[in-house]
Amino acid sequence: MTEAHTIDAAERVLMAATLRGLAEELEGTELTRALDAFGFADLLAESPRDAVSTLFTALGRAGSMSTSLQDVLLQPLAEYLPMATTECNIVVPGIGADQVGATDGEPLAVRGLVIGARPAPTYLAPVAIRGELAWIGLREASGISTRRVGGLDPALAMTEITGGDVTADVIVAGERAAAAWAAVATAGRLALGYQILGAVGQMIDLAVDHARSRVQFGRPIGSFQAVRNRLADAHVAREGAAAALASAWDADDAFLAGLLAKSLAGRAARIAATQCQQVLAGIGFTAEHPFHRFLARALVLDSILGSATELPTAIGAHLISAGTIPRLVDL
Amino acid sequence: MEVREFRAGVRAWIDEVAEPLVPAIEDQSVEAQLNHQRRVQRLLFDAGWMRWGWPAHIGGLGGSPILRAVLGEELTSRALVHTTSWSMHEVLGPAVAEFGRPDLVEDIFPLLLRGEEFWCQGFSEPDAGSDLGSMRTTARPRSDGWVINGEKLWTSWAHHATRCVVLARTGAPGSRGISAFLVDMDTPGVTASPLETMAGVDEFCSTSFVDVEVPPQRLLGELDAGWRVAQFILSCERGPIFWQRGAWLAHHLGLLLDTARDQASASALGEAYQLLWAFRATSKSTQDRIAAGDLPGPEASVDKIMIAAADQAVFDVARDLLRGDMETDDTARSRAWRREWAYSRAATIYGGTSEIQKDIVASRLLGLPRSA
Repeated sequence: MTEAHTIDAAERVLMAATLRGLAEELEGTELTRALDAFGFADLLAESPRDAVSTLFTALGRAGSMSTSLQDVLLQPLAEYLPMATTECNIVVPGIGADQVGATDGEPLAVRGLVIGARPAPTYLAPVAIRGELAWIGLREASGISTRRVGGLDPALAMTEITGGDVTADVIVAGERAAAAWAAVATAGRLALGYQILGAVGQMIDLAVDHARSRVQFGRPIGSFQAVRNRLADAHVAREGAAAALASAWDADDAFLAGLLAKSLAGRAARIAATQCQQVLAGIGFTAEHPFHRFLARALVLDSILGSATELPTAIGAHLISAGTIPRLVDL
Repeated sequence: MEVREFRAGVRAWIDEVAEPLVPAIEDQSVEAQLNHQRRVQRLLFDAGWMRWGWPAHIGGLGGSPILRAVLGEELTSRALVHTTSWSMHEVLGPAVAEFGRPDLVEDIFPLLLRGEEFWCQGFSEPDAGSDLGSMRTTARPRSDGWVINGEKLWTSWAHHATRCVVLARTGAPGSRGISAFLVDMDTPGVTASPLETMAGVDEFCSTSFVDVEVPPQRLLGELDAGWRVAQFILSCERGPIFWQRGAWLAHHLGLLLDTARDQASASALGEAYQLLWAFRATSKSTQDRIAAGDLPGPEASVDKIMIAAADQAVFDVARDLLRGDMETDDTARSRAWRREWAYSRAATIYGGTSEIQKDIVASRLLGLPRSA
């Protein structure tokens, strides 16, 4: 993840303000069109760190969604796949699953999710075939069905792809396929990590505003230590995840750093959801208050590409097989 | 001196010197720990490594303070020195260098760097822990200097220390009437009585001061401005000390990797490591800010909360994965683990409790109203 172009501080501020504005005002296809006009794809190619951190934090803050996650997931694939990847969608494993499908021969059953789908009805999915990773191409004719997911967060444009016995058009298999999956998963984990932290930031801000203005027993509730400690815990969890995300771009083991950043972001989501909801109390439980939208967004994204309960096992296994505790970044 | 070059040099030196740097595991007494550190510090001083990151006029060779963090990391990540005693010169050194009278500092600082002197920190009192501003130790002016009376608590290594940075009341009640002094521990009236920790280590003391006469040049900073010295010292703890403690924790986590037997062990190791990484990633930007000349502000309270949580997580995992060794085994190795686990219980207490840190986060970083 090298940066071909270094963006200076003034450009970065301007870019962040523009992307935040777009993410706040627009949603869905309109947002996608506006991001295309802004040149997000070029920015992603030139300076992935700036592009991903800025846009996905803004999406998390605004509670909006675009097809940009597909841009991020497809970008590392160009290096591995012998095909134009701009007109398709990446299927990520269903919640709790390692891959989109696995088979020891015929048939191949698939179940996965597309987040922020592009209109193109073609898909790329990582599956395990006889224990070996492969990327397969899928389309309607392959025997899949698609379902627009309502679920916990209906506003998140998510599509479920399922198929009991699909025709697998293998595009690449073996080591290259595994390396491609590692790169795609890492890119996705960082993007989702930023988006989660955007939503976490909103949860904390809403709870802090409430704690400053809500008066009980003649005092703002934010002066009670029990309330203060809850919000401090959420802030500390957020800061740890933010630092892990920022450091992931410089880490010497990008895959491990991606696992860590996503796991810590999911952990921050869970802590903020619990602590901020308790501080917001009754009002935060209503449909009218915006809190629940950020809670749902953060918790659903926590579950994608490995949750805060699943990833520590993967992280520990990585350490055990490496036989060492990596420093990842140095002073 | 570049950081990379420095790190490579320290590593090569450690490999070359090798055996004399490795502490004996059988004798885990404070005396043995400090004697070993004296030898290591002397070797490092003579080779120059100990002097980098400190200004030339006090015995250093100049360069960024980051170099001190790197040295600490390379030593503690190999457990060549113990992280707690290695913190001592980092806790008090920068403050004495900053606030001490220049001629005094020039005389004594090289002794600290060479390991010929250990210094201790006389802050807490029996009735002034988190509420440090309520301290009762007094320093009253006399014809030539000051007379200190009072009792300090939790003064680590006071019974092995040559000097002590003492906070004492010189003015009005509260934090504004406090001054800082550098007191020689062999001054008549100073008595350090060791207290045993739950780990069975007599690391800290109750230290009493009875009519202790202190010459005027031992005032650190301005009169009644001791709170600034205290704040400076507390913020110094967030620098190289935290960085090398993180490395010490990583070393201990690494010792557990071959004890993992199942998925639950992997998950527990992963959890502890991610907390440690959250700390390291956060601390890196704090170290960078310190190197740029900033004194860590309220945001360093976040670092403190994080490292305390990681510290306890690492040794909690150790107790689980060592499967009873910590509870029932009496080999030197298990005694060392037991001692580290016990010490980690204090991580959320010393240097400002986690509750105080969270209060700072709530007020200063989140903007919540202070308690009535």
